[in-house]
Amino acid sequence: MKKRPPILWIVVALNLVVLVALVFAYPHLMISPGPLVKGHEELATDCFACHAAWRGASTSRCTDCHAVADVGVKTTKGVPIPSRTVEVSFHQELIEQDCMACHSDHQGPKLTKRSRKPFSHALLKVAVKEQCSTCHAAPKDTVHRAVKVECSQCHGDKAWKPATFDHDQYFVLDRDHQASCETCHKNNDYSRYTCYGCHEHSEAKVRAEHLKEGIRDFQKCVECHRDPRVEPEKGRGRDRGGRKRD
Amino acid sequence: MPLKARLFQREVLPFVASFALLAALALALDGLLHLFDLLWVGRWLGIPGTLLIIGSTAYSLRKRKLIRSGHPAKLLRWHELLAWLGSLLVLVHAGVHFNAILGWLAVWAMLINVGSGLTGKFLLDRSRRRMEEARQRMRARGLPEGELEDQLYWDSLTFDAVKQWRVVHFPITLAFAVLATAHIVATFLFWGWQ
Repeated sequence: MKKRPPILWIVVALNLVVLVALVFAYPHLMISPGPLVKGHEELATDCFACHAAWRGASTSRCTDCHAVADVGVKTTKGVPIPSRTVEVSFHQELIEQDCMACHSDHQGPKLTKRSRKPFSHALLKVAVKEQCSTCHAAPKDTVHRAVKVECSQCHGDKAWKPATFDHDQYFVLDRDHQASCETCHKNNDYSRYTCYGCHEHSEAKVRAEHLKEGIRDFQKCVECHRDPRVEPEKGRGRDRGGRKRD
Repeated sequence: MPLKARLFQREVLPFVASFALLAALALALDGLLHLFDLLWVGRWLGIPGTLLIIGSTAYSLRKRKLIRSGHPAKLLRWHELLAWLGSLLVLVHAGVHFNAILGWLAVWAMLINVGSGLTGKFLLDRSRRRMEEARQRMRARGLPEGELEDQLYWDSLTFDAVKQWRVVHFPITLAFAVLATAHIVATFLFWGWQ
């Protein structure tokens, strides 16, 4: 084999030395997978503040500065945080302490910004997980403000949308009732409904039909007509507000 | 112009196609991983990619007689295939993310290396055949051997220049090896492997 000039090996060795020197001098540029989050900017050149050699970042290194009992209560410098934040539940009500399950303190790639791990509700203690209001404020929109049921009836714990809502529990939308929401729920107010929104059920017509049978309390339609395919029980309306009061 | 058409089909097109296919496939696979939210797969592809590239060096070791077994021609085909596939996986692993300089230098060194390999593979083959065809034509015309060498002087120089790809390919490989090793060591040093 033809012997290679040693100059090549010297150049390669020098490159290696320069590279290693650059890695130690500018680790945040040379090997960091992304800039650190705002609170940890000053640690940018001190990788071993969070990383243990050959073992990666560890929870114990996080909790050295961020005592779990203090998260959301006081800062790492001991300054009390005036109002209780959701961070308290996020950190003190977990089934186990595993900071890296949610935190990646290196910001994501500039192109995608997707290195942040989504919070998993599975990490919460059951009692906290079932009380959504511990962390989430109830929505004040017309869809939700009068809702009394558990959030989990419609929403999963992975994302707010898509939500599932079983309209049949309240009124069965059979083939004759495939109308737009606005037909029954005026002004997007889902806490109320009206059956008089369509031509078939004009108030005068409904009134005449019910009075003919001696039913006076016919304003709460779905109490008797939950399923339009099923005839309401005979005498039900009469018992509640009909002839009995006559 | 049948000769030009043949050259284009046999040399230029495979060279461009091979490089373009590498880039297009890497982008397509990376796009799919993003689309299906499988970025973690790309993170691990660096390992099989590296192993394939290491496997491809069997030819280089055989050529330098550091190993004795294996048919050189077959090993060369494997060298080309494994290095290409390994580079593809490493490219997907790198993604289009502009983060650590070290990782980027390693990727660029790898791409230059693939480029030099493909250039050598296609251009060297082309030059050798062109030279041989010219030599045969001149012999057929009855040109004496001395005059024939004079006529082919510039072609010989060109051929020697093209042969330099080997000289270029090796230091680029070394640079790539050094950068990739530094990246791998840094990963082992700081990554959690959980």
